[in-house]
Amino acid sequence: MIRETLAFARRSLIGRLRQPESLAPSFVFPLFFAALGVSSFGKAATRLPGFPADSYLAFSAAGAVIQGVLFGATAAASDLATDIEGGFWERMVASPVTRSSIVVGRLASSFVVGAVQAAVFLAVFMAFGVRVHGGIGGFVGVVVGGGLIGLAVAGLFAGFAIRSGSSEAVQGAFPLVFVLLFLSSAFFPRQYMSGWYRHVADVNPTSHVVEGLRQFVTRPLGTQQFATAWGIPAGVAVVSIGFALRSLHRRLAAP
Amino acid sequence: MRTAPIVATGLVRRFGDVVAVDGVDLRIEDGEIFGFLGPNGAGKSTTVRMLTTLLIPTAGQASVAGYDVVRQADEVRRRIGVALQDAAIDPLMTGRELLALQAVMYGLPRREHRRRGDELLERVGLTAAADRRVGTYSGGMRRRLDLALSLIHRPTVLFLDEPTTGLDPMSRITLWDEVRSLNREGTTVLLTTQYLEEADQLADRVAIIDHGRIVRQGEPRELKAQVGAPTLWIDVDAAQSVAATEALARFGELRPAAEGRVGVGLGAGASGVAEVIRALDERGVGVRHLELHEPSLDDVFAEATGYHLEGA
Amino acid sequence: MSTLDGPTVSTAAPARALVARNLRRVVRLPSAFFPALLMPVFQAIAFSGAFAAAIHLAGIRNSLDWFVPLAALQGAGFGAMSIGFATIIDIQSGFLDRLRMAPMPRRALVAGPLAAAVLRAVFPVVLVTAVGLIGGMNVPGGWLGLAVLGVAALGVGFVAAGWGLGLAYRMRSMAAAPLMQFAIFTAIFLSASQMPLALMSGWAKPIARVNPVTNILRMARQGFLGRVTWAHTWPGLLALTGLGLVTTLWARRGLSSVDRI
Repeated sequence: MIRETLAFARRSLIGRLRQPESLAPSFVFPLFFAALGVSSFGKAATRLPGFPADSYLAFSAAGAVIQGVLFGATAAASDLATDIEGGFWERMVASPVTRSSIVVGRLASSFVVGAVQAAVFLAVFMAFGVRVHGGIGGFVGVVVGGGLIGLAVAGLFAGFAIRSGSSEAVQGAFPLVFVLLFLSSAFFPRQYMSGWYRHVADVNPTSHVVEGLRQFVTRPLGTQQFATAWGIPAGVAVVSIGFALRSLHRRLAAP
Repeated sequence: MRTAPIVATGLVRRFGDVVAVDGVDLRIEDGEIFGFLGPNGAGKSTTVRMLTTLLIPTAGQASVAGYDVVRQADEVRRRIGVALQDAAIDPLMTGRELLALQAVMYGLPRREHRRRGDELLERVGLTAAADRRVGTYSGGMRRRLDLALSLIHRPTVLFLDEPTTGLDPMSRITLWDEVRSLNREGTTVLLTTQYLEEADQLADRVAIIDHGRIVRQGEPRELKAQVGAPTLWIDVDAAQSVAATEALARFGELRPAAEGRVGVGLGAGASGVAEVIRALDERGVGVRHLELHEPSLDDVFAEATGYHLEGA
Repeated sequence: MSTLDGPTVSTAAPARALVARNLRRVVRLPSAFFPALLMPVFQAIAFSGAFAAAIHLAGIRNSLDWFVPLAALQGAGFGAMSIGFATIIDIQSGFLDRLRMAPMPRRALVAGPLAAAVLRAVFPVVLVTAVGLIGGMNVPGGWLGLAVLGVAALGVGFVAAGWGLGLAYRMRSMAAAPLMQFAIFTAIFLSASQMPLALMSGWAKPIARVNPVTNILRMARQGFLGRVTWAHTWPGLLALTGLGLVTTLWARRGLSSVDRI
């Protein structure tokens, strides 16, 4: 079971690496937004009292990571849905392998892609002078956090994809990703927000995950960061993978 | 002197290194139905696209309705009706809306739009479906609408690019009837097809195109005759095979005989059958079964290109 | 009976018919239209909420005053550019061949889609402005301010449509779609889109300074930040006229490239 899962993870990973054009936007856009944000809000950050990072650049690293991972995971989900539309089930039903391993394998590759994205992003930000206050532990914290976020989101979308079996339905869920991302503290600190917008950002789990990731960069290592940046996505991942596998078994059991 | 409705001389079209049409000469006379026959990718559609002003020829010249397809494109457009492959029609529009749009594009006077549209819908049997979106039409209905659209401005020359590809036999026959009746009204028709039967049924003359070149051109009957004489196969009592063979010899080339079955290529054509029967009768050979096999357009095609179009 | 010496077809009539066809699509395929309608509203809300504190530093009390005009311009741009997608579908289905075979002036195949695109852009602009007004956006410039925003937004729509149409005619495949979006996205964001020039710093500032979109945005925003003045209007109009001419020519040349295939 584990060997099969690893084999599927590897295959899925290779498949994604072979299509750089599908991965490129999830690298390019977050970095572009961050670079633009630095130019737009860099000066403002120095004038706002109590800005929670050395600079807007350091602040935006976590936002870029979560944005990239979210985009990448949704692209993978749409791949899975396309697969499902194109005879995936027939092969699956005919295959002698443990069926769960195919899905879990795919999800595992999302962990790897998320972690790699996080590492690349953080390295780029460090090249531009961002100091990771959490040290090596902080770096690892961001990388594993990126992987867990990838896993959680991929699991959620895989569930949608398996249940609906249509890439269109999955793409219809993409706007949700934008809402989760923009109505959070991914691009600006929550402390400066007000009114209903602040309330939404307060309850949006994305805010807490991104702030946990951010504190790996802006603060010395602490347990609080692991609890939010690892704990929340890990919890979501457990639930969402369960959801995906249940959808899978239900689908396979159906005549 | 009036020029023929469609004249092409040395028409060539290249796409990069690919020569899609390689020196096509055509002359289609007033009131003809001309069949343009060939497999997919032979250059039929490319030729039609050049003749209908959609593509500029790489070399050579063509005139349609007396006007040059490149220099006088708008004059050509005013006079031709075109139904292209796959009936490109907007699935979100209704049949009536499409006809109205087409009427505007061809500059019909406003007061005529409605009447002309209704008339054409009636003609192609789509009156009941006129206000439905085209997306709900069957393949045959779409082709019929496409035909109606191409007729909006009363063209003198009609181009039909594979008008029946993918249609069921009934729809096909309906469309053939419509083409015939248009032709009777004086419209010159050029139709491309990969169906030999269609060309045989409809066309006064056909051209066979292969690898961008016209390899045969003429009346179907004449082309078939060129391939060879019709073969008469006769089943006789095995004991009389020799006598039968002797009797047949003077009518033409003998075909390899089998037990109780003899055959001859009729040099005089199908009209020689009666005489053959008489000759056999004179020798006392009883005829059990008789079969006349005429060369088909597919035989013409095979002889010209080295492969069969149908069943390939 | 034939139209051998038929009437000369005008540009206006077929262009109008193509506009009607395009607007009908909006009604009959609303699912393709909703994202273009809702994106700017979401953007206005998200940016106004997230970056409110940064905008306050510029002395702008209500961040909607700053971000709603941006969202209107971007909504108009993306909404109008979708005429490029529609054109690619027409090319691939062969419908454009039908249009090209008609004896109408080629101008109609540029004028029709452009006019349709600008009309389509009206919807997101009106919606996002209405949401802004309901949300308490200030309009010290009054009706004139709203009108100037309308002109600027529809002008951006016109420019974006010309760009999309020209690209569609040249590339003739959906591979053109990301390129269409990316160019408009970059052109708008590499301007004083998120913060005023004075508060910008670093690499994007010199680009924003020379980007004509900065002038158009200044024109669009003036009625929400103060009174409408000619000094804040003419550079935007000039930029729109210049860009409009270039993209119209780009679209017209694109159509010629289809004829020359």
